Amino acid sequence: MFIERMVNQGNLPLIERMMKMTARRHEMLSNNIVNISTPGYQQRDVNVQAFQKMLRERSAQRRVAGPGQIRFDDLDPTQMDSDGSKQGMLFHDRSNRSIEGLMSDFSSNAIKYNLFTELLRKQYGSFDNVLRERVS
Amino acid sequence: MFSSLETGASGLTAQRVRMDTLANNLLNMSTTRNAQGQPEPYRRRFVVFAPGQAGDHSKPGVHVQKIGLDRSPFRMKYEPGHEDANAQGYVRYPNVDMSVEFTNMLEASRAYEANITMLETTKQMLSSTLRLLA
Repeated sequence: MFIERMVNQGNLPLIERMMKMTARRHEMLSNNIVNISTPGYQQRDVNVQAFQKMLRERSAQRRVAGPGQIRFDDLDPTQMDSDGSKQGMLFHDRSNRSIEGLMSDFSSNAIKYNLFTELLRKQYGSFDNVLRERVS
Repeated sequence: MFSSLETGASGLTAQRVRMDTLANNLLNMSTTRNAQGQPEPYRRRFVVFAPGQAGDHSKPGVHVQKIGLDRSPFRMKYEPGHEDANAQGYVRYPNVDMSVEFTNMLEASRAYEANITMLETTKQMLSSTLRLLA
């Protein structure tokens, strides 16, 4: 119960959820990239804004309820798929695919993922310090 | 995350098959006979991509669904002395347009590069995840 409360306070669950979301987005964006020359393919993406809004609402609830009361692990980024294609007129199948846009989304998503893993690692490191009763 | 590696690999395979097809078109752009030696010109091939892995279409990825034959008419060239010329002196040449093939080749090679970059990024993300354990 104590450990449960420890890991479910602060920004640890938020970081974990964001990591999950960026990992899921990575999969979807890579699928968009490999299907860049597939005719009629509909690009798919995670709705980042909606997911972050859900996270914000959930953390506002937690601020009222206190740590350990509100759980985050039911927020599933796979439910947030949105149709990432913006209708265009450049191609015959009316998909506005641009490798530049996809690659820049892809790399910024990867950088975010690395940032969240690094943050999570730091958090775990501080837990480790607490458990060993030493300061850094 | 590991599935992204498979996805990327399927993209590489598909683009390579596309490149092979394009190279075959270019090689045979003046072939006026078929493999049996009959005066039937080479027909341009093209690949048809479809989403999904080659083995399992429900998995994310891309695969070559089929390699189709271009039904457009052959190029007619006036060469009365040619063995394969018709009664009017015209020879049927393959319906391959070099500029189209080169444009497609460029697209295929760029898409291949994009897939490589994607795989590199995926690998680097996986290794940063593994560092969580250390």
